[in-house]
Amino acid sequence: MSHGNHQQRLNESLSALMDGEASELEIQRLLKECDASGNDLQQRWSRYQLAGNVMRGDKVAPVDLGLAASISAAIADEPSLAESAQAPAANDAADTGRSRWWRPLSRGAVAATVAFAAVLGVQQMQSPQRGGDMIAEVERPAQQPVQSAPQPSGFLVPTLNTRAVSTAPQLVPEQRVGVPSPQVQMVPSPELMRHLNRVMIEHSEQAARVGSQGMVPFARATYGERPSE
Amino acid sequence: MAKVFCFSALKANSSLLAFLLLVISLSPSINAQTAEDAVPERAVTPPAAQGAAESGQSGEKAGEAGSDAASEAVRPSLVMPATDAEAQALLGKMADAVTNLEYRGLVTFEHVGVMETLEVVHGVRNGEQVERIRYLTGSHRELVSRGQDARCRRDGSPLSRAGLWSSSGLENVQNLYHFFIRGEERIADREAVILEARPRDPHRYGMVISVDRETGLPLKSMLVAPAGRVLERFQFVELDLAPIDDAELQPQSSDARESDSAGHCGSLVSRWRLGWAPAGFKAVATRELADGEMLVFSDGLSAFTVFVQKLGPEMNYKGRATRGATVAYMDHIEVNGTRYTITVVGEVPDSTAQLVAKSVAAKN
Repeated sequence: MSHGNHQQRLNESLSALMDGEASELEIQRLLKECDASGNDLQQRWSRYQLAGNVMRGDKVAPVDLGLAASISAAIADEPSLAESAQAPAANDAADTGRSRWWRPLSRGAVAATVAFAAVLGVQQMQSPQRGGDMIAEVERPAQQPVQSAPQPSGFLVPTLNTRAVSTAPQLVPEQRVGVPSPQVQMVPSPELMRHLNRVMIEHSEQAARVGSQGMVPFARATYGERPSE
Repeated sequence: MAKVFCFSALKANSSLLAFLLLVISLSPSINAQTAEDAVPERAVTPPAAQGAAESGQSGEKAGEAGSDAASEAVRPSLVMPATDAEAQALLGKMADAVTNLEYRGLVTFEHVGVMETLEVVHGVRNGEQVERIRYLTGSHRELVSRGQDARCRRDGSPLSRAGLWSSSGLENVQNLYHFFIRGEERIADREAVILEARPRDPHRYGMVISVDRETGLPLKSMLVAPAGRVLERFQFVELDLAPIDDAELQPQSSDARESDSAGHCGSLVSRWRLGWAPAGFKAVATRELADGEMLVFSDGLSAFTVFVQKLGPEMNYKGRATRGATVAYMDHIEVNGTRYTITVVGEVPDSTAQLVAKSVAAKN
């Protein structure tokens, strides 16, 4: 009878728990009972839950109460760690060690190949554009003998132009400080150009006589347009 | 565990790829640089190995020229400071060859990226130099110059070429330029010694001249701006030292210009003076023109000319004009109510020309 009363009291506690009205003491008792009796209380609990869901009209899904049990059984069936650790340990370590650096490296190699091919492709596209500089590029390697460089090292030579450059002097007017004048486009008059031409030639002829550069000043003197006499 | 491997492999993979892409993106710019003639990068490799071989040549210890305060980027140890005696010997030999040697040749003349070829003939007739130069590219241009007056050449005054290369003249040059022997090279199938004249102040340009071992003729001469930038290069492609006949000194084209300055020694006393001139520049010639005067100044290696002329009022340009390595700076001066136009022309830095032009004053 007491057992029946005990059981009855438990059931009452269980339903109270379902409604969320169980007291601490009752919950403690239920949990203790759970541990002791095993599935009995749990089945009752699931039945109560099912009943409550149906009465409320909630959708119900079949629950396999034996899921936890089956998992536990399966785990119990597996060989224990202690047994299996030693035998495959050596194999595993070797395997992982090898593949550890091998795999990323192989992938990196693939990436490198792809990138290299891309570079080649890009450079192929770029090289025709540099046709204008080809003269300079071809000139230098041919000129480099073993002893010295064509121009002494440390000097920068402007690249050769392929366009024709005007032989007229380039004019840069003096900037007047403090005068806020707009940038006037300098249109040099023919007289000015003639004058500049003439003074440059006269200077070069004098420089040829005075310096020891040989005929270099004459090359400069003859460079420009002849002054119209 | 497998998942951990995949993740770290992915990280290694992507970082490797990123690194490769970075290198690739940099390499085209490196190619572009070499195409643009950034010589200093390449220059470091050859001379280091040959410094030992070259240093046996002269008594100088292989001075690392990088100790020089000048602004050059890379100086290989192949470059050695030239002793006074060496520099004087080379310069003297060069001056002599240029004046007295008869030769003809083909030359390339380059500046601001334009290269032209010329034919040059240099002859000596009755103690006078006769020189013919003809452009083989571009428009037809030819010049025949004769009449370096014998008197002018032979006297020892500073007005003459001989005067400049006297011992005092050479000392002067040593004070203005630092001379280096940069090794040897082969030009026009001849062996040459490379001599560099590096200016000691920023008022002039430097020069690198490859002097023929045998004759002393400058086979290649480059005008160099302070940053190592080459402004102009004159280089023989072919040189022939056989005596010149008269036929070769005749103009080959119909519109050749003839320049004759026989009798013009340039010893006029000028009415103008320079308030400031860069150190070492001395007046070497003064000539009278139809509308004014021209004064030539030289320091032994470079020269500039000051023109003071009475030109029309429309010639009121004030500023500079450059053609190749030559700069011309124009300015004005008012003296006693008359306006004179000053033009300073030379292969000197722009600032020098400007300072000189502004310092021209009348002698009182």
